Parts: sequence; structure tokens; C-alpha cells
Amino acid sequence: MQHLRAIGQTGEVRRATAEDVHDRITMIWEKIIDEKRADVKTLGERLEVRKM
Amino acid sequence: RNWDDEEDEGDDVDDTDDIDPDAEYAAWKLRELKRIKREREAIEEREKEIEEIERRKNLTEEERK
Amino acid sequence: MAHHRADEKRFMDERGSSGPLAPNGLNPATIMEKPVRERIIDSYFWKDQCFAVNEADIINRVVDHVNFIGGTYGDAQRPSPFLCLAFKLLQLAPSDDILREYLEFGGEKFKYLRALALFYIRLTRQAKDVYKMLEPYLEDRRKLKRRTRIGTSLTFMDQFADDLLTKDRVCATTLWKMPKRELLEDLDVLEPRVSPLGDIEDLLESDPEVVEGNNG
Repeated sequence: MQHLRAIGQTGEVRRATAEDVHDRITMIWEKIIDEKRADVKTLGERLEVRKM
Repeated sequence: RNWDDEEDEGDDVDDTDDIDPDAEYAAWKLRELKRIKREREAIEEREKEIEEIERRKNLTEEERK
Repeated sequence: MAHHRADEKRFMDERGSSGPLAPNGLNPATIMEKPVRERIIDSYFWKDQCFAVNEADIINRVVDHVNFIGGTYGDAQRPSPFLCLAFKLLQLAPSDDILREYLEFGGEKFKYLRALALFYIRLTRQAKDVYKMLEPYLEDRRKLKRRTRIGTSLTFMDQFADDLLTKDRVCATTLWKMPKRELLEDLDVLEPRVSPLGDIEDLLESDPEVVEGNNG
């Protein structure tokens, strides 16, 4: 029940604080940066492969 | 998925920033100058209106004599 | 603690007058026009993406789904994700602290989040706060895609902020009539705005054609 509530299944949503909002922004931003980095890396690997 | 169909509808508008920072700055500057000009004109317009009201008020006072 | 479902029902209810009013005294449930609200509530995006969403979750929705500003678009007059999320904000009524996060920390990274916050602030805040919170972004020249019934076009954050400050209708929503800036200056509620370009007299002297030569 506690868990269901936390994920909103009971129809209740916990209000977010400004701090929660700040942290979420950081989280999403870092995820995007990581994904970009991963893309660059795979591109690098592909180039490596092409060189061989 | 009817909100995710952006890609196929002849989407020729590119909103990527910093492609040409100098041109983007120049375009912004022009928009900002137009805003300032518009604000100035609004103020001048208002001052004129106030003058006109004053003028009419004085006229009627003259006529009353 | 908020009972979202119950709140939502109450919010959708015309009689929503029982709920708290926005800082500008308007009822958030009726700020958007009825046909628009109905379109939003009927839309798939609303049902699928806007349920059980709080002030932090909304950022994920913006980042994942908002890539243009607009009200309703296309022949079907479909409500944009931007408009649906603005409606969600009307329901959530985020505090000024949260709005500042959307505008500044978040808005620097995600431009459509800033645009959404600007729109929401214009709908719900008092005039002096609308001017104070929106005007700094007349300096933000980032591009925004805008979609209307006729098609897609390019606009800019500064242009969007200016539209919100000067136009009657933006994104399928009639904006409440704010007192003019000059009036609030006369009442000493606001200081005159200083453009990031500096003093206009100096500008005119240095480069008159720039101002005169482009009348739109």
C-alpha cells in the first residue's frame, strides 16, 4: 500500500518541493549528458573499427 | 501515439540554437530595438494625449469668460 | 497528501470555485476556455501522460514531449502537449520557488520548460510579478518552434515573452487584461525597464538606421 501510494497508483500524488524539482532537473540533465557521451563513444568505436 | 507524430508532418523548422551565434545575436538586437522603439512611441503618444486634454480644458475655460 | 484524483475531479468541475484562487484572483479551473479544456481532457496525451504527475514529474514530460509551443493545432485542433502541461500546472498550482527552478536552473537547460513557466506565470500571477518574472527573458534569444492551425513557424524566447506581455491571446488562451507597464510605473509599483542594450538615447545616436530602418 505504501509503495502503491508512492508511485501514485492509489490516485494520490505526493507534492514536490522546490528541492525535489531542482534535483529532478539535475537528474534529467545528467542523464542526457551521459547519453550524449555514450553516443560519442560508440561513434569513436565505429571509427576505430573503420580504421582497421 | 497521436502526440508523437511531429516528425512526419513536413517539419521544416529547425530550432537548434547557436548555429550562427553572431547572426542570432544581431536578430535579437533588432527585435529588442523594435520593442524599445514601440515603448517610446507609446509614451510619446500618451504625453500628446495629455497635452491635448489640457489644451481643451483651457479652451473651454477661455470660452466661459 | 493531496488526493490527486479527488482534486482532479473537483478541478474539472465548473464549480471549481471551491478551490483556491490564483494569485491574480482568477479561478485556475476556468482560465482556459471551456472548449479548449474539453479538448485537453479528451486528448490521448492528457490521459496517458498527465495523470498522477507532480511538479517534478512534469519536467520529464516537458523534456520528453514538448518540442514546440502552441495552443491547438492541425485541422483537428488537437491540444499541444505544451497546452496540456500548462493545464496541468493550473491544477498543480506550483509555488514561486518551484517556478523559479523552472525558469532559471531548469530553463537554462530546457528552453521549453522556461517557455511553459512563462506562459503559466502570465496566466496566474499579479501584473507586477508578471512583469518582474517575464521581462528578464526578453534577453533570451533561443529559438522556439511554434505550431498553430496553419502550420509551423519559428519564434524566440524573447518574442514569446513579449507576446505574453503585450498580446491579448496566446496559445489558444485569452490572457487576462493586465494594467499597462507605464501605469504601474506611475504608481511606483515598477521601476522603468532597463534594456540589456543600455540607454536608448545612446543607441539612437550611435546607430540611428538600426532603429529607424526596420519598421517591420
